Amino acid sequence: MSKFTGVWAIFEYLDETTDTIEQVREQGVQPTVITPCPRHEIDHALGNPSTIIPWIALAFGALGCLIGYSLPAWTASDWVLPVSGKPILAIPPFTIIGFELTILFTAIHTLAGLAILAIIDSFRFPIPNAAKKYPRFQRDRFGVVVRCETDKIEEFEAIMKKNGAEEVHVEKD
Amino acid sequence: MGTTAEYNATAGRVIIDEHQGHPGIKATTLSYGQINDEMLAMLDKPRPSYYLLLLGFLMALVLGALSLAIQVDVGIGYSGISHPIAWGFYITNFVFWIGIGHAGTLISAVFYLTRAPWRTAIYRSAEAMTVFAVMTAGLFPLLHTGRPWLAYWLIPYPNERMLWVNFKSPLVWDVFAVTTYMSVSIMFFMLGLIPDLAILRDEAVRKGNKLKAMIYAPLALAWRGTNHQWVHYMRGYLIFAAIATPLVFSVHSIVSWDFAMSSVPGWHTTIFAPYFVAGAIFSGLSMVLTVLIPMRAVFGLQDYITNHVIQSVSKMIIFTSIIVGYAYASEFFIGYYSGSPFERAIFYYRPFGEMESWTLLGDSKINFPQIAFWLMVFCNVIAPIPLWRWKIRNNPLAVWIIAALVNVGMWFERFNIVGSSLQHEYDPSAWGEYWPTIVEVGITVGSFGFFFTLFTLFAKSLPPMAIMELKEATIPPMKNAAKGH
Repeated sequence: MSKFTGVWAIFEYLDETTDTIEQVREQGVQPTVITPCPRHEIDHALGNPSTIIPWIALAFGALGCLIGYSLPAWTASDWVLPVSGKPILAIPPFTIIGFELTILFTAIHTLAGLAILAIIDSFRFPIPNAAKKYPRFQRDRFGVVVRCETDKIEEFEAIMKKNGAEEVHVEKD
Repeated sequence: MGTTAEYNATAGRVIIDEHQGHPGIKATTLSYGQINDEMLAMLDKPRPSYYLLLLGFLMALVLGALSLAIQVDVGIGYSGISHPIAWGFYITNFVFWIGIGHAGTLISAVFYLTRAPWRTAIYRSAEAMTVFAVMTAGLFPLLHTGRPWLAYWLIPYPNERMLWVNFKSPLVWDVFAVTTYMSVSIMFFMLGLIPDLAILRDEAVRKGNKLKAMIYAPLALAWRGTNHQWVHYMRGYLIFAAIATPLVFSVHSIVSWDFAMSSVPGWHTTIFAPYFVAGAIFSGLSMVLTVLIPMRAVFGLQDYITNHVIQSVSKMIIFTSIIVGYAYASEFFIGYYSGSPFERAIFYYRPFGEMESWTLLGDSKINFPQIAFWLMVFCNVIAPIPLWRWKIRNNPLAVWIIAALVNVGMWFERFNIVGSSLQHEYDPSAWGEYWPTIVEVGITVGSFGFFFTLFTLFAKSLPPMAIMELKEATIPPMKNAAKGH
């Protein structure tokens, strides 16, 4: 069970959530936000965070492409089968294998990357167990989780209440 | 987006000016909670009619399984496939089902990239159809080999035979194309499901259903909907859409090269790749409507799968029908214009049969290819013409009938390509006739049973619509409407 010290709150409205995010960020803390669906308003309020997923896709797509060309080339050289004087290393037919393996490697590693990044993020940005178990975040409520020192808790609690949070929870571990 | 949302207690719904909702999807004027409830209600205990329908599909599946058992036990000689017709019903079914599998990825990936809003309500079901159709299709080449237990020989791996597969063969390209397409389709489908599985998990917790919570929790992969998860997820989804788009077009192109790379009259033509892709999209979209129009009626989904959605898919059907019709005409013209007597002969044979003399009636003998040809022309070129009229497109029953006819026509188009050319190659002494045996018909019926059984089970076990995307498309809950974007 991860230890968590901070505040988390439940909001009904999107605009109240974004206001809270902006005010929390003004205090120098980057909150974690839980939403039932992706909203670009939340991304804007959070300062448009980025991800390394495209780089993972690019790197493994390139690896797939390399394997896609080199596997047929190597096997064709390993067991030479001359037919009608046609080239042993034939680029056009190998391009099809290269294309397919580019797509396959990109897809598999994008998915694996998503899973691994999700695990890493769960350690980097922990959320309290009570927030994990709150069942309406996937339904129709927004959550803002602020991890902070004990002496800052009251300040963030006040921001959340001021912005109309339905519930505010303080966690001290 | 500003909103004048009001909760109407009598109607039990949030009522919003429809012009502010998503074009064509009235349900986008509902609240997040209402969308959740209405979607999850679809997964409630089924009515007896559901079990009856499932039983019917299962019976077809059992018939297919029995036929398959006979086929495998006796051998490939039990089918009608014999020299010179090496490809019959099985390869026809393979090409047909791969084609059906094109609509899902087209709707989920291509229309995602082009921001077609009407896809939201139907893409999950279409994606499921893709997965099930490709699974169905994948069975046929294995079966067609005669010894399916040796199918792993198609995979390149170091082996005691010291042999590698021939990467210059279109059949090996097909192995790579179809397995990649199936893998990517399944991953794309599962990726889209993760947030919805988390919804199912939390709803089960909220309602105190421990068994369901235990089942859905591992499937949801600890999804919490944090901004960190969403940012990776949305970018990953975009990448999946971007790579799936060329994949859609490549798969049926590569399937078409199974034919076009040969020197058989009627097959050896450069038009095959776009011709096959257009046909695949045509048949796939028709299957989507064939399945979703009854589903919409059964589940009462008129607010989600609106007439606008059906109209949009119908327009795509008209568009692809024109391409397919043009391809048919072009094949005939090139057959004539090439000056090759073999090309001319096959394109005479397809509509009119054996050519004893240059009379239109030929020997007046009707074989299976002639039946296939005329059904193909009627169902794929003539039957969709009424869709040009708005009134027809706006009538779900009429659209359903046309879509079902297109499915029939596309199956016969596949047969027209696969079956007729091999009966009528260069040397008249090597011409032959093909009629399917009862086992081939049984396996074909079984393939439909397999597909529809899987889809029927899916419709009651996983959300047939993407709940998360419907919420994303709807107007978000705002306390101060003026703050909306």
